[in-house]
Amino acid sequence: MTPAVRAHGLVQRFGERIALGPLDLVLNSGERIAVLGGNGAGKTSLLRLLATAARPAAGRLELFGLDAARQRDRLRARLGYVGHQPGLHPALTVRETLELFATLHGMGKEGVGEQLEVVGLGRLAGQRVDRLSRGQQQRLALARAVLHDPELLVLDEPDASLDAEGRGLLGQLVRGRTLVMATHDRALARELCGRGLLLHGGRDAGDPWALRLMEA
Amino acid sequence: MRFISVALAVAGKDLRSEWRGRELLPALAQFIILAVVIANFAFDLDLTTGPRLSPGILWLVLVFAGLVAFGRTFAAEREQASLEAMLLTPAGPTAVFAGKALAAAALLAVCELVLLPAMAVFLGSPLSPLVFATVLLATVGMAALGCLFAALAAQTRARELLLPVLAMPLWIPFVVVGGRAVQASMTGAPLNLQPLAVLLDFDVLFVVVASLAARFVLDE
Repeated sequence: MTPAVRAHGLVQRFGERIALGPLDLVLNSGERIAVLGGNGAGKTSLLRLLATAARPAAGRLELFGLDAARQRDRLRARLGYVGHQPGLHPALTVRETLELFATLHGMGKEGVGEQLEVVGLGRLAGQRVDRLSRGQQQRLALARAVLHDPELLVLDEPDASLDAEGRGLLGQLVRGRTLVMATHDRALARELCGRGLLLHGGRDAGDPWALRLMEA
Repeated sequence: MRFISVALAVAGKDLRSEWRGRELLPALAQFIILAVVIANFAFDLDLTTGPRLSPGILWLVLVFAGLVAFGRTFAAEREQASLEAMLLTPAGPTAVFAGKALAAAALLAVCELVLLPAMAVFLGSPLSPLVFATVLLATVGMAALGCLFAALAAQTRARELLLPVLAMPLWIPFVVVGGRAVQASMTGAPLNLQPLAVLLDFDVLFVVVASLAARFVLDE
């Protein structure tokens, strides 16, 4: 079976500074991995490469057997991504936001209302995004990321600003999908993921440490 | 069909955001009226000099209003990461770019609806359908190029400086051809539609070039 993610010698650099790699990673369909590490460890660089938001400086990245650098358009229908910032349009309403992204994904708008109910924003459908709390904006960003039912979900600290109910919702949204999630929250990593990848200075610092963390 | 629905959705989003925020249009309308009033005093226009100098004033104001309008098209969205969220969908960067250029062109067209009557009132510029058609045709090509360079400039720190440096040289053909067409119309010269045909050619050329380049500018 083709792995969901296969990275070989993956490197990301900004100028002279190597932010990530070289890194090898294989993730099978349905697997969930927590990317752990301190600030500047390379977590966001890895996630942006997996989300096709950036191109690697070197190495090869395949998602579902397709070259991530060359077949981005085909892959993007199968990916959902929430980055550091929610990436929302402040003047749109909650409903308009999901309707816009339904159009961008070539979907009908019928599922939008149901999706809003799932993330607990149904009663705020007509509210402007810039009048939502940060946690509500994060819920909307998560709703947008799973709107098109992606196979691979890439989440960069998705628990930021989420309340306990929101964290429970996170578990519901990732169910049945391949997940790559960066987090500083060990409890959340243990709860949602079966594997860990510890990054240090952009390199894989070894699974055993991450596994111990998961078991702790 | 998908391309058109995406472009219209993105354009609708930008226009709705501007309508609700009312950040750009009121400021641009003020700028336009002030520029026309200052030109009136600076050039000491009368009935003879007015029609001769009005085309120059029109294009100068339009170029600077365009720089402000297009400069904001991508900058805020890049900072909020909302542009990236749209680009990470299968919609494709060209359709997203087309939608944003369409909205920017519509905003500049609204500015022109302020500018042309203001010129008639303050400078006594004679307006005709040919003047409106010339300005609107130039808007299409200027918007395509302006948005392309705005997307490029938004990735840099010195975007306010970079956009004029990139866009203005390539807007010169619009100013030259459009300026002559407007001057001919304002000075009562016989009707000549050739400048409109040339502007249309420019529009087609620059819209195609900008659309092809948009993928490389946006999807990096």
